[in-house]
Amino acid sequence: MIKFKNVSVVYDKDIIGLDNVSFKIDDGEFVFLVGKTGAGKSSAIKLLTGEIKPTEGDVIVDGIIVNSLKRSKIPYLRRAQGVVFQDFRLLPNKTVYENVAFAMEITGKKKKEIKRKVPKILDIVGLGERAGNYPNEISGGEQQRVSIARALVNSPSLIIADEPTGNLDVETSAEVMSLFEEINKMGTTIVMVTHSEKIVNDMQKRVIQLENGCIVRDEEKGVYNLGI
Amino acid sequence: MTVASFITVSCCLFLFGVFLLFTLNMNSISEQIESQCEIIARIDFDVSAQQQQDIYNTILNLENVKTAELETQEQALTNFKKELGDDAVVLEGLEGKRFLRSSVKISLKDIRKSEEAVKYIQKINGVAEVENRQDIVSKVVKFTAAVKKGSVMAMLILLIIAIFIIQNTIKLSVHARGKEIQIMKFVGATDHFIRMPFVIEGVMIGTLGFIASFVIITFGYNAVISSVSSIIRLFDFVPLQACITPLGISMALFGVLMGALGSGLSIKRHLKV
Repeated sequence: MIKFKNVSVVYDKDIIGLDNVSFKIDDGEFVFLVGKTGAGKSSAIKLLTGEIKPTEGDVIVDGIIVNSLKRSKIPYLRRAQGVVFQDFRLLPNKTVYENVAFAMEITGKKKKEIKRKVPKILDIVGLGERAGNYPNEISGGEQQRVSIARALVNSPSLIIADEPTGNLDVETSAEVMSLFEEINKMGTTIVMVTHSEKIVNDMQKRVIQLENGCIVRDEEKGVYNLGI
Repeated sequence: MTVASFITVSCCLFLFGVFLLFTLNMNSISEQIESQCEIIARIDFDVSAQQQQDIYNTILNLENVKTAELETQEQALTNFKKELGDDAVVLEGLEGKRFLRSSVKISLKDIRKSEEAVKYIQKINGVAEVENRQDIVSKVVKFTAAVKKGSVMAMLILLIIAIFIIQNTIKLSVHARGKEIQIMKFVGATDHFIRMPFVIEGVMIGTLGFIASFVIITFGYNAVISSVSSIIRLFDFVPLQACITPLGISMALFGVLMGALGSGLSIKRHLKV
């Protein structure tokens, strides 16, 4: 479960990231964070991954107060999360298989377990036959699938996706989103930042809209309508 | 980057080695000068041979005395004649006359405590006067202390400069791999896990730099010492065999430390994600 309790983020020069924001996301939920640029979506994501600390309030993920974690404990928090970025962020000198295996290696998993699990995950995202390819040898959609496989491989309870379809065409975006839906059905909580009206409207999931650092809308089966 | 870092480390280690050898030689020369600073205790004319021997024994048993040598009046005259050479004729007829005193030439273990030794020797019954080249002694003491202090300071400064240079050189490579580090951080890699390959790389560069600079220095040192020795014959320089072990250990440690610290520090900024 994720809880934001009266969270405020103030950057240098008094720029407000979030202003006294409170919300709760239950386990297994699929939530879209929407809003204009500078609304506070990225701040919310950064708070969840421990990249920044709130100026005020508490960010609680699975019972852990993230803002009170020591810097040395942040990696362990991130291992329980999967993060998917708009620009995929794959290691260019590693193959598809190695990129996914890498996320397991850093957690100290045994080679035997890695060899067993990585092909399974690649099959789930439909990249079983691309395991030996390098990122520059596959399409954008496939690269995003690798990124999702990497986020999934450590069986996280939460996946944070920051505009995962931002660099993809409509058709590929739909494929990627159906993959996220499948993952969500398996019980993984998904928090997704997006600017795609089509995706939000098609999925009919919970929508939290931010504006100037404040929540202006929180709907159970919302649509993408920043004008509301 | 590896080549640039290797060259930088090698140059720094070469300078460090040169400086270390210079310091070792300066210390050796200081010790040689110190050992040449003798105290001379002149004995009264009417002291018997047995009393002279007693005075010599008393001095020899002093804690700070390294060596002592008794020179009787007869030996002093013989030595004086030798010094005069052909002009020794001026001493003819003076045999048996009491114009040269017996003396004890003393070299000390620690010339910094020469004043205490002089005071004690002056009080020994039968000692007429004590000649102590205090001016030279104090200059040598000051010079030696300054060389030692300067050496430590210069080595520390060199270490800081070297780490700074290597840090900046490695920073370029770390910067190029900044994205990779960021990805590693986001998938949950600990700082230790990310830092370790860079530190190992730094240690390897340090080791390679050490090997290259050590080979150059050891070959170069013999050539330099043999040519300098033919010009400056006053002092003995430290032979390579005597300093090769401390030189090797110091340079190796310096190289490894420089590589490891340089890499470790240059990656620090990228870990703040």
